[in-house]
Formats: sequence, C-alpha cells, structure tokens
Amino acid sequence: MKKIPLCLVLLGLAGCAGVQPWERDVLARPEMSLDDSPLDAAIDDHIYFSKEASSGGRGFGGGGCGCN
Amino acid sequence: MQRPRIRSVAITRLLLSLALACFALTAAAADAPDPLDLAHLRGKVVLVDFWASWCEPCRHSFPWLNAMQAKYAARGLVVIGVNVDRERADADRFLRDVPAEFRIVYDPTGALASHYDLPGMPVSYVIGPKGEVIGRHIGFRNALRDERETELQKLLEAAQ
Amino acid sequence: MKDKDNFNATLAAATCALLGSAATPVAAEEEAGRWSFDSTLLYYGESDDRVQDISAAVSALRDFGDERKLSATLTADTLTGASASGAIALNRPQTFTSPSGRAVYTTAAGEVPLDDTFLDTRFALNASWSQPLARLYTFSAGASFSTEYDYTHLGANLSLARDFNKRNTTLSAGVAWSQDDVDPVGGRPIPLSQMLDVGNGANKRNGGESKDVLDLLLGFTQVLNRTTVLRVNYSYSDSSGYLNDPYKLLSVVDPLTGDTLVRVPVGQGPDGVYVFESRPDKRTKQSLYAEVKHAFGTPVMHFAYRYMTDDWGIDSNTAELRVRWPLGDGYIEPQLRYYTQSAADFYRASLVGGAALPRYASADFRLGDFDATTLGIKYGHGTASGNEWSLRAEYYQQNGSVPREQIVGNQANREQYPDLSAVIVQFGYRFRL
Repeated sequence: MKKIPLCLVLLGLAGCAGVQPWERDVLARPEMSLDDSPLDAAIDDHIYFSKEASSGGRGFGGGGCGCN
Repeated sequence: MQRPRIRSVAITRLLLSLALACFALTAAAADAPDPLDLAHLRGKVVLVDFWASWCEPCRHSFPWLNAMQAKYAARGLVVIGVNVDRERADADRFLRDVPAEFRIVYDPTGALASHYDLPGMPVSYVIGPKGEVIGRHIGFRNALRDERETELQKLLEAAQ
Repeated sequence: MKDKDNFNATLAAATCALLGSAATPVAAEEEAGRWSFDSTLLYYGESDDRVQDISAAVSALRDFGDERKLSATLTADTLTGASASGAIALNRPQTFTSPSGRAVYTTAAGEVPLDDTFLDTRFALNASWSQPLARLYTFSAGASFSTEYDYTHLGANLSLARDFNKRNTTLSAGVAWSQDDVDPVGGRPIPLSQMLDVGNGANKRNGGESKDVLDLLLGFTQVLNRTTVLRVNYSYSDSSGYLNDPYKLLSVVDPLTGDTLVRVPVGQGPDGVYVFESRPDKRTKQSLYAEVKHAFGTPVMHFAYRYMTDDWGIDSNTAELRVRWPLGDGYIEPQLRYYTQSAADFYRASLVGGAALPRYASADFRLGDFDATTLGIKYGHGTASGNEWSLRAEYYQQNGSVPREQIVGNQANREQYPDLSAVIVQFGYRFRL
C-alpha cells in the first residue's frame, strides 16, 4: 500500500485544529507558554544529562498569544 | 495490485478534502450589516484597530494611536479601538495601564472580529471616505510607524 | 570533569537548552528597552556522600522592541564528591590509584567504589539573539561556552521558525554544532589498559582530545483548541571524537567467584585488576518528543513524553507531568517524572579474567539498565512589584539492574547496581529593572 505522506496528515489536522486570532486569551497566559521556565528547563536538562544517557528533545517556537 | 492502490488514493483524497473543508469553513465570513456604524463616518478616514488586554504589542500601539488621533482628528481621522476580551474587567485593567484617547467599542462575543475575519492580532483596518477597506496592517511594529503615518496623511489629503 | 559525567553533559545541556530557548520565553508584560532577569540558586545532594553540587544561574533578557530579543545566561557551579567509578563492591577493602597518578584512595569493604573525591568549579555562558525575518518567520542564533579545569565547550546554533494557519501552526528547524576539548587529570588512559601503580604513567597519554557534536531539530507546534497547545519535536544528534569517561573503570573478576582479581602493587598502587573503560568514538542518537499544555480553568497541566534511541543500543522513555494550581498570590505545582532506559550494548558490570577483552566495555551506571523517578513540588509567589520568587524541592531516585548473564559468582550476594538517590532544592527569583 502506498504510504500516505505525513505532511498531508499533518496539514489535514492543522486545517481543522486551531483557534481564531481573537480567541487566544488563555494561550497568551505566561504559564501556557511552552517555554515558560527556560532556566528550570535548562537546570533539569543538565541534571538529567549528568545522570542519564538521554538528553534534550525540547524545541522552540509556537503557541502563546500569536501576536504580531 | 489494483485494490490497495485505489484505497490509498481514496484516503489521500479524503484527507485533502477534509483539510480544504476545514480551511474553507474557518475562512468564511458571515455577511452582516455595518456593526461599527460606519455609515455615519462617510467622508472621514477611519482606523479600526482590534486589540485585547492579553495582546502585548497593543501596549505599544496605543500611544501611537493616541498620537495619530490627536494629530489628525481635525483633518478627519477617526480611530476606533475594538476590544475582543471576553471579560470587560480585563479590558478595563488594560486601559488603566495604557489609556486610550479614542473611541472604544466592545466585542466580547467576537462577532465583529468574525465579520472581519481577523488574520491576526492586533490588526488595523484603514477605511476610506467612501466606507471601503483600503488597507490592513497585521501586528504592530515600531519600525513601521512613520510609514503608516505617511499612508494616513495621503488618505486624509485625498479625502479633503 | 570527572563524575558529573560532563562530557556530554555540558555540551548537550548547553546546546539543547539553547535550542530550546531560542524563541525566548514568556512575559506578556515585557516592555521594549527593559531588562528582565531570572535567577536561581540550586542545591543538589546525593545520598551516601556522593555528589553534592551548588549552582547559581542568572539569565538576562533584553527586549529591543518589534520581537527582537537578546538573552544571556551565566551559570556557575561547584561540584564536590564522587560517583560510582564502575568497579564492583567486594567483601574486602579496595585500593585504587587516583586519576592524577600521584596518590591512592581506598574503598571500605562492602562499599560501592566511588571516584576519588574532588572539587570542581564550572562556568558556563549562553547567549542568543532572536528576531523576525518577515512577519511569519522567526530567526535565532546563539553561542555557548563553558569551562572547568579539565573540560572546555564551545558551541553555536541557528534556528528558523515559520508560522501557518493564522499562527496556529509553527514549523521549526534548528541546527547546533559544538566542539568540546577534554584534558583529563593525569592524562588520557589507553582504553581497556590496566590501572597502574602510583607514578607509572605508561598507559596515559598527555594532551587533550576533542569531541564534536552536531544536533538537528525539527519541530511542529499546533494549537489544538482555545485551552490546549501541542508540540512535537524530532531530534538527531551525532557525536564523534573522544566519548570515553577517562575516570571510569571496570573490575576484572575471577570467572568462578566473581571477585576482583588480586594484584600486588610495587609500592603504592591498586590491589586489584582494574581496567579503564572504552566506548566507541561515534554516537548517533534520535529522539521523538511530544508535549501538551492544557488549561482547565485557571490550573494548567503539562505533560511531556520522549522516546530516545541510539546506536549504542540504548533506548529510553521519559514521561513527565506537572500541574500548576493557583494558590493565593502564587501557585503550587507538583511534578512527577518517570524515566527508564535500557543498557548500552557494551555495558558490562565487570570483565571476566581470562576471557578475550571486548572491543568496547563500560560499567558506567549511566549507560546501564535503570528506572528513575522524580517527585517534586514547586511553589511560586508574585510580589506586589510584579516580580516572582519560587521554591522547588525534588527527590530523584534511580534503580538499576544488571543482566543476569553478567552476574558472576559472589556478585549475586552484593549490591550489583549503584542505585542513586538525590535531593534537589532550588530557589528562584524573577525580576525586572
């Protein structure tokens, strides 16, 4: 069976999900940001990196108030 | 083999139409009568700015909007700020920190926002003397202030 | 650089932290031209007199307006103590030559041997700049540097993010490079060579070695609804160069009793047969990470899951859950993390005397088979001036096991895996100037 391109699935999902720009009040709250505690995250990453064999994975960008 | 290939093509088509349908639905703007009562503002240049208490760039756009309203009111500029907060208290708190010297309209249900189908936040629409939407600015950038002011000056002159 | 295991630690932590914080955080209230700071003081302490660490970090963010931001983080930490060296515990005391080759240190009977105790101070600096390239494009560039007496790291990173669907969807891509230089105390031991007497540096090589790492990250962020946002990242990491821990050992044991073979030193030196570890000079890792933030009313829940696999045979799964509840002028946030990993292909609890030496072998507990759980709680409080202080306390417990086929003789009666437990206490303060 021919594989369905992942990008099509993602685009399909993306077209349906999401909110209007004027409905981002909750997402704009600082605690809803995916990067709200970068220092905590860096410290955790450093500790776990020192004691375990895996690291990182976190990325950047997206979410939030979507302003500008 | 014939069957698996047709099945995967059908699924792909279904996903594509689903995506398109979702895009189309969200893009559809309701046809509504003039909610901002722009009919009474014919002959003026109207700057309609959609803002919210949670919109950080709006803290920077208000001083500029205040300046524009003050400077060009006599030449026919009307600035209207449309607030899209669900709770009036949030809007009031913002206005205490960042006062507005222009007319504020409240749109807590988002009906006006939907009518204009805002592409982002904040967004400003420049409406000409005949009531037509001439321009649109998504977002607020300090770097574009002069350019936008020049655009308003040209429109105000043409409207005289 | 010993313990803290920081070959990869400093590097990856700095790199990933940088990649992760490229689109700088928070503060809907930040105003252009203002500085905002986040500072933290942390204590990390393991049980059984192992590692203790005190660190302080300050992060400064300056907003230049129009989404242009500069951020810099300075970290200093002081490490004391030691972690398991990889040698097995015995019913008799054991003596080892210290890494410098100038002295010996002993481990009591029944105790898991730890590296020689040390004191090490590390400084790290990360800086990053981010700005829009066009309305929907965000670009970020950063650099990182860290130094401790036997290890130096230098890195750079670039990333680009593009928004779609009225900023409901974000696609991002990032790349990070780094070059680390290791200059171990006493020189680099030849892999799988025996630990020699005090003053004998025949199996040590002087001069530093380097390690290069390339990291690639692809990210997808999607707003699911008004109260939920999802992020999925795929990362690829390639390390090459000196990947050994120069201070880690393996015990060479008797095939029947499982006890370390006895050795008679000439003067001062080890009283058993120990060899230095050997790891491949290349490591490729891939990971898939997904996280969700959901607000149910005022409280916010965060759940994250990561799967990692590499060409050393290690697979790991991590799941994390945090829930933030408002409490008075602040919030309370319990946290739970569960981590599990499988051992590296070349992980060996010990080497059997007489058997052929494998090409690669390491008894480093960080490459073994273990589960780890973290239980924590954080309390944050906003002050009248808009600043925030916070207190976080966590308990970390690691429990490992050695594959049955690797347990030889008397080893079955002793603690086979150096389980670890640690307490972490962190005080934070965010403020604006």
